[in-house]
Amino acid sequence: MRRFRWSAWALLLLLFSGFVLPLFLVGDPREPVASPFARPAWVGRNQPPALAFSVPPGEGKAFAWSWDAPRGLSVSGEVEFAGVPGAARLTWETPSGEILVLADLSGQETATLDLDARDMAFRASLGLSPFDESLEGLFDGRGTIRVRIESDVPVEKSSLSVRIPGDRWGLFGTDQRGRDVFRLFLAGIRVSLLVGVLAVLVSTVIGLSAGLLGGYVGGVVDALLMRAVDVLLSIPLLPILMVLAALWGKGLWQLVLILGLFSWMGTARTVRSMTLSFREAPYVEALRAIGAPTFYILARHGVPTVLPLLLANIALGVPGVILSEAALAYLGLSDPRVISWGRMLHEAQSFGAFTTGAWWLLLPPGLGIALLCFVFMDLGRALEEWADPRLKGGGGA
Amino acid sequence: MRGYWARRLGGAACVVAIVLVANFFLFRLMPGDPVSTVLDPRFSPQAKAELEALYGLDRPLAVQFLIYLERTATFDFGLSFATQRPVLDEILSRLPNTLALLVPAYLLSVLLGTALGVLAARRRGRAAEKAVLSAGAISFSFPSFFVQMVLLLVFAYVFPVFPLRGSLSIPPPQGTWPLLADRVWHLALPIGSLVLLGFGGWALTVRNLVVKVMGEDFMVLARAKGIGERRLFWGHAFRAVLPPLVTLFLLSLPGVVSGAVLTETVFSLHGVGRFLLDSVLGQDYPAAGGAFYLLTLITVASNLLADFLVQFTDPRIRTGERTST
Amino acid sequence: MRKVGMRLSGAIGLFALALSFALPAPGAEVKAESLRGPRIGELYMVVVRDPDAAVLALERGKLDVLGDVTRPSDIRRISKNTGFDLSMAQGFHMAQVGFNLRKSPWNAPELRRAAAMAIPRDRLVRELFSGYSAPLTTYLPPLSPYCDKAASAPRFDPEGARALLGKAGWTWDSSGVLVPPKGKSPLPPATILSPTAGVAPTTAELADRIAGSLREIGIPVKAEPLDFAAMIQRIDEHKFDLYLMAWQLSRDPDSLYAFYHSSMDVKGGYNQTGLKDAKVDRLLEDLRYVPDEPAARVAAKAAQKALADRIPIIPIYTRFSVAAVSKGWKGTVSTKSMTADNSWSLLSMSPASGPMKPLYWALGDEPRTLNPFTASTATDWQVLGMVYDTLLTVNPNDLGDLPWLARSWKVETVKDPGGRHTRLTFALRRDVFWQDGSPFTAKDARATLLFLKKNAIPRYFDSVRDIASVSVPDAHTLVVTMKNVSYWHLHSIGGTPIFPAALLGRVKDWRSWQPARNSVPGKAGLTELYGTGPFVFREVRPGDYVRFSRNERFWLIPR
Repeated sequence: MRRFRWSAWALLLLLFSGFVLPLFLVGDPREPVASPFARPAWVGRNQPPALAFSVPPGEGKAFAWSWDAPRGLSVSGEVEFAGVPGAARLTWETPSGEILVLADLSGQETATLDLDARDMAFRASLGLSPFDESLEGLFDGRGTIRVRIESDVPVEKSSLSVRIPGDRWGLFGTDQRGRDVFRLFLAGIRVSLLVGVLAVLVSTVIGLSAGLLGGYVGGVVDALLMRAVDVLLSIPLLPILMVLAALWGKGLWQLVLILGLFSWMGTARTVRSMTLSFREAPYVEALRAIGAPTFYILARHGVPTVLPLLLANIALGVPGVILSEAALAYLGLSDPRVISWGRMLHEAQSFGAFTTGAWWLLLPPGLGIALLCFVFMDLGRALEEWADPRLKGGGGA
Repeated sequence: MRGYWARRLGGAACVVAIVLVANFFLFRLMPGDPVSTVLDPRFSPQAKAELEALYGLDRPLAVQFLIYLERTATFDFGLSFATQRPVLDEILSRLPNTLALLVPAYLLSVLLGTALGVLAARRRGRAAEKAVLSAGAISFSFPSFFVQMVLLLVFAYVFPVFPLRGSLSIPPPQGTWPLLADRVWHLALPIGSLVLLGFGGWALTVRNLVVKVMGEDFMVLARAKGIGERRLFWGHAFRAVLPPLVTLFLLSLPGVVSGAVLTETVFSLHGVGRFLLDSVLGQDYPAAGGAFYLLTLITVASNLLADFLVQFTDPRIRTGERTST
Repeated sequence: MRKVGMRLSGAIGLFALALSFALPAPGAEVKAESLRGPRIGELYMVVVRDPDAAVLALERGKLDVLGDVTRPSDIRRISKNTGFDLSMAQGFHMAQVGFNLRKSPWNAPELRRAAAMAIPRDRLVRELFSGYSAPLTTYLPPLSPYCDKAASAPRFDPEGARALLGKAGWTWDSSGVLVPPKGKSPLPPATILSPTAGVAPTTAELADRIAGSLREIGIPVKAEPLDFAAMIQRIDEHKFDLYLMAWQLSRDPDSLYAFYHSSMDVKGGYNQTGLKDAKVDRLLEDLRYVPDEPAARVAAKAAQKALADRIPIIPIYTRFSVAAVSKGWKGTVSTKSMTADNSWSLLSMSPASGPMKPLYWALGDEPRTLNPFTASTATDWQVLGMVYDTLLTVNPNDLGDLPWLARSWKVETVKDPGGRHTRLTFALRRDVFWQDGSPFTAKDARATLLFLKKNAIPRYFDSVRDIASVSVPDAHTLVVTMKNVSYWHLHSIGGTPIFPAALLGRVKDWRSWQPARNSVPGKAGLTELYGTGPFVFREVRPGDYVRFSRNERFWLIPR
């Protein structure tokens, strides 16, 4: 009874999370959902969550506040008065009872507001320095906050809403743009898997053909192919990847192609040595004797012979490709429109995750890469053992 | 034997030639040139023409190629577009930093890895072996720059034990010993991280090799002859393990170079790897071409060297038809 | 965008920054005579490329001055720390969307105007820059004294845009895409080129948003991020629809010539939009060859109005720069056009308490080369600006001219059989010495100008190209006669760094000259990288720092 290896379970889980789960999630992972650098929801207790509410006419809106000051605030909408007010304003009563004026609404029958704490003008109106993004003046403690429209003319309608982007969000917090890191992480699974598997498939196809052909046909063809292998092996991998990525453009498919082009050599050599012995097998000689074409022999008999080891090769090749893609993305040489884990690490470093202490931007993608590599290495080993039972046992080497 | 070496060297020369030509076209094919990217409204078209002449970009491609071949033979990679200094000078000025990083890191990880691998092989089935196997698996899977970033975060930001960047304090301390100590302190995290990432793979490889060798026939014979375990191991097994180990040591040199690019980027070290990255990103193609060419030469050279040295460490391997591994 | 900014800042904008020696404290007008300095004995310019490391080095006291803090997260962190003073200034940065006027439909003026009305600058500035930028509607940087605020791009008004198009005969098809008047088919899909997010992340995102805004009124545009060199190539080959690019300009409006004159629509020229308008050409020529300052103001205003009517480009935003200085130092100088990290501060800074100590100043990048003939990046000139002086400098309050090596100057138009020429006469200071002890005279200025002209050094080419003759009637008077008439020659010549004649005579190949590596015989510690500036270059450790010490002979130090 074969035990299903943990890595197979893990791979299924990753496939599900990467391809199926996003279908059920709404919105684009690239859209901001909260404040930039918001912590994961399960970490910060004192950081406020996302809040939004409308400000009705009359008594306005009162809400409880039991957290630290948030890092963002926006007030937008329209206020319609029953006439033209001589004096009207939007006030904010802080938990400690101080009343601040957010905006002056006098002199217009319909006032439109679009206030945001990021605007320099807003900070200036509250007497804050242009660098002071903290809203500690507005949220100076724990208690109740009241936002009210005061005017000498009755308010007919108010579509004003106050929005406080949360400083805590989701499983993995948000990045420098306020995007949900968990959604980005899921998107990264897909990219890593696609790039990994496709690049390895490309390299396998090339390596298989080269190895079979060279090993079977021999002669000039073999010599040429082996020379090509030597040339390509003599080129240092990361530098050539860097150069080609900068030169050829950083699209995803270019990357898959480039990675595939520089990974087939090992497969070719393995397949070639297997083909050399395959060629001498009696049944193959027999086939040759009765005039079977080369292509038939290779396709019908050669491929199945090497297949088991090839599958193992595929699985073991994926980690290398994933790490190369991650390295390229980290250096900034990948397609910026594509969300990959390496790219997330690059953006984390470029946009101040270190100074902000945003460990939630660094750990998920890095650990994700490691996990993916672990999974494929284990699967590869399993396939190796299945292909060549002699390798089984003895420490699982 | 001479025939074999002639072929080997011929093969290596062939490789270098192909890389040389590819290098030229690779970089010439890059869109744009350094003159077009100088965007300064005071730079009239005439001024730009002067700049083009300065870079030699106004000659026909064939002429440029011949000049390139002639210069590369003398390691004259031209002037860097960015700094207008000879590329070779730029590389040589950074080489000591890269070597100071890579040589200790590589040696330490090999030594540590070998020691642990041997330990694991001799204590089969026990906890030590399992630990080494896991370390090996881990070092293969974690992206190197990620581990380095985490180490930097923890040991330079959160707990300010090590410096944040660079290879020297500013201002550098006076005196030989304080200066040396300062350099070591700055290189501690980079080298430490490289060793941490590298020893696992070595330990695993060494362990596998030793295990394989221990099971070989000649070992069974030796054991039957009654030779003690200790002498068995150091006298016989280790000698058999040495050639493939040396081969592997030399063959993994080029891979170490890639490690330099990433490490120097994470820790902001002034080395050749960082230089390659900056040149590639900055479309400084004499610099990028020169750096890339040198790295390829190192790879070819170390492959050749590996082949050469194997002769001496393993008498069983004689020059014959090069078999595929 | 960082890279673009660095390259662009070559000759223009960074002369203003690196070589300008701003006197006054914020707001106050201080006369040059009242400044004494530098007081700092030793200056280290430290290379810190990584912004994280820079912020932390600042906090830990390893850096005293950190300029160009761009990330809002860094600004926030520093502002919470009471040990630092932050200053913010508007600069000469301008980000614009350019049209390919050679191609339809971009040659339809009402379409361009509608497009300009469709872009919500305020919202973009808020969301992409967290407020550390300002919306831009003018064709010259708002700080420039010649900027005409009245000549501006239309305000955000999408309904107005639609009304405008409707009135001109445009219609919309069923999917909301515009159909030109008298046309049958809707507009074909177009793209807006931008640098990639790797080089300029916010610019790439901005392009995306702008494309979205244009789609809202029916212009089918999508963002196309490209490698910078590839983007320039496409623009050079005229194979584009729109592009988004940022420039670093200067206080002088004659750069408008380079951008909008039809003769600049050549390979290597900056008229990327392909504007070909006889009236604009004439106004720009008037502006370029204007004889004096009052005429310059009139010409600049006329030129900007003509451009505002035609909308060849849509101005989008201008970036603020933010700098942080440790409170351990006093005497920094900041104005609305200059953050505290300027050369004036370097002249007047001293420790807030305690004895004199070295000052650690952050450089955002490594200086590529210290050869003043080939140096082109902003970082290079931050370093070189410590060593070399210019004849005039820029007043940081009103961006006018201030005397520097020249005590006073005269701009006249002279006539001779060959035509009319601008003649600049500079009366030079008598108390200036080179850092090797020899006196500075007009002969040095003459040697500099002639050297630059004779060798056709690309960087200075346009400044000295029009020099007809340079004469030295006495040791402290310099007369430069130009081949044609233009007020801007004053700034070209006045802004050129002056090199010692004795040294210029010894430079055999200006391309490969490495002054920092050659020591001057007989003068201990002095390299060939010397000038008249406030600091003497002592040492460079590539990748780490550049070290200077005070020029004891500097003419502003009290005797």
